[in-house]
Amino acid sequence: MSLVEIAGLEKGYRVGEIDVPVLKGIDLGIDEGEFVALMGPSGCGKSTLMNILGCLDRPSKGRVLLKGQDLSHLSDRNLARIRRDEIGFVFQSFNLIGRMSNLKNVELPMTLKETARGIRRDRARELLESVGLAHRLDYSPSNLSGGERQRVAIARALANDPSIILADEPTGNLDEKSTNEIMDIMYQLNKEGHTIIMVTHDIETTKHCSRVVWMRDGLVQEVTS
Amino acid sequence: MLEYVLLSFKADWSRALMSGLGIIIGVISIVALLSVGQGLYGGVSEQFGDFDMDLVSVRPGSGMGMGPGERPASTPEEPAEFDEKDVKIIDNVVGVEDVYPLKTSRALLSFRGDNASVSVIGILPDNHNDLKDVVARGRFLANSDYKAAVVSHDIAEDFFRMDISPGNQIRLYLTEEDRYMDFKVVGVLEEDEDPSYASNTCIYITHKAMDDFLDVDEYHYDSITVRAEDATLVEALAEEIEKEISRIHRDEAYNVEALSTRFESVLEVLNMIKYALAGIGSISLIVGAIGIYNVMTLTVKERTHEIGVMKAIGATTWDIRTLFLLDAGMLGLASSLVGILLGTLASDFVGSVAGIPQEVTLQSVAFGLLFGVLITTVAGIYPANKAAMLDPIEALRAE
Repeated sequence: MSLVEIAGLEKGYRVGEIDVPVLKGIDLGIDEGEFVALMGPSGCGKSTLMNILGCLDRPSKGRVLLKGQDLSHLSDRNLARIRRDEIGFVFQSFNLIGRMSNLKNVELPMTLKETARGIRRDRARELLESVGLAHRLDYSPSNLSGGERQRVAIARALANDPSIILADEPTGNLDEKSTNEIMDIMYQLNKEGHTIIMVTHDIETTKHCSRVVWMRDGLVQEVTS
Repeated sequence: MLEYVLLSFKADWSRALMSGLGIIIGVISIVALLSVGQGLYGGVSEQFGDFDMDLVSVRPGSGMGMGPGERPASTPEEPAEFDEKDVKIIDNVVGVEDVYPLKTSRALLSFRGDNASVSVIGILPDNHNDLKDVVARGRFLANSDYKAAVVSHDIAEDFFRMDISPGNQIRLYLTEEDRYMDFKVVGVLEEDEDPSYASNTCIYITHKAMDDFLDVDEYHYDSITVRAEDATLVEALAEEIEKEISRIHRDEAYNVEALSTRFESVLEVLNMIKYALAGIGSISLIVGAIGIYNVMTLTVKERTHEIGVMKAIGATTWDIRTLFLLDAGMLGLASSLVGILLGTLASDFVGSVAGIPQEVTLQSVAFGLLFGVLITTVAGIYPANKAAMLDPIEALRAE
């Protein structure tokens, strides 16, 4: 059984009186340990697909199974639980909380899970060390470079040991050097067994991916390996 | 969670201060006003003291309508006339310690060529154990005395150029009538710190002397004051006396009243004043709550993106709501504590400057704390809900 199974997924939004379809029937399976890149022009539905996979949004039609559990009919509360426990988000704009230190930012998903203070502190420290930020624990994210911020975000995504990492253009705001650093970390994570789905516009970043899924106009157009 | 809230205080202490200010002022006024109110209450009850809490007063009524404690009359009645018979009946009621039948009149006191207006009180000397104990010089009256008088402290020492002493001769003129009577002073009383039915400006004589002095056709007592054995049972005693009196004075107007009843109604009014003051304080607390509401609404707006992030990484609606309510509650708690501290100082200050008694009680502190925290939290409910219900995708888009 695949880790993620998408079958006949449709999603539309109502704008005034008109229904605007964004996803028009997507079928896709993703196995554990895969590193999948999602590519396509703007407006093709990549972000909507990511939002549904990330339990931030619900399908209008079709099924999305994560570890065999159907996400379409879960309550808000249960969706939040899945986001917390099964999914690690890495955003293009990092989305760290500037008022909190890097350590606290990484601790936050564990705080929400009510992990004991000592345990989450140790784990947050370990994770930050593993992305090479041992010397930046008590800094605020706003004092870091873009590449460093994204590394904090990756550490945060890993906090609750999720079954899947969703990265939405993780290198979109980064220069070439930082892009390479981040992609190295992502590749490393994938080698360690993490399943990663990444939206990207940069074909260069897909060289380590097991598959590239090309989307167009709300449909999967082509899958290349 | 709490850690996160504390963090937001640290990062945003000026916001916390500004939004908490209204609550601080509200709690200050509640604590200060309650304390001053409590002080007034305590001051007045102290003034009343316990000296006349054990007295029951029995008086003829006006016969018209209802005075305080007067029993209802369907038809105009004659005022009751009290005499020795009534004294005996009351004296036989269980729980009565002493019975003081009194007859009072104004008179002009003449002593060595000087005159002064005084109250003359006709009494039954043997019953007045209370006055016997406060004779400063000489002796108290006896039932067998006739033209003898006991003079209270102020008259003896302050009214005339020379002090009146036992053995002195005094003359009493009945005001507006051309009649006088000479008395020999047998005793002078101590100064009474808490004058009740008696005062420091009266002269005591026997009823027999009073009767002759006034020269009326029928001699009746103005009032009968009764001292209860047990002050705590004084109201029940008043009822008992009322029952006994009603047997003889059916269809006559009179009233029987425990003096403590009057005292209690004064205290009741003071209590109301106290809470009215607290109510005025609460108004500023409500203004403070509106401030909290505004600041929290603003905060939710400012932190929309952050809320989106928290939801994306797994915060539930419940988590976000708790977070913001905790934020409000903590703000309320901190503000209330500051308010209580400042309110205590303020009531000390007001008390000493204005010379008003004030008393910070646990009750006023608890009141301030409870209302401070409660109102702040309530003010936070709507903004917290708004934050909790935000759609994560839209919240993430906000910047």
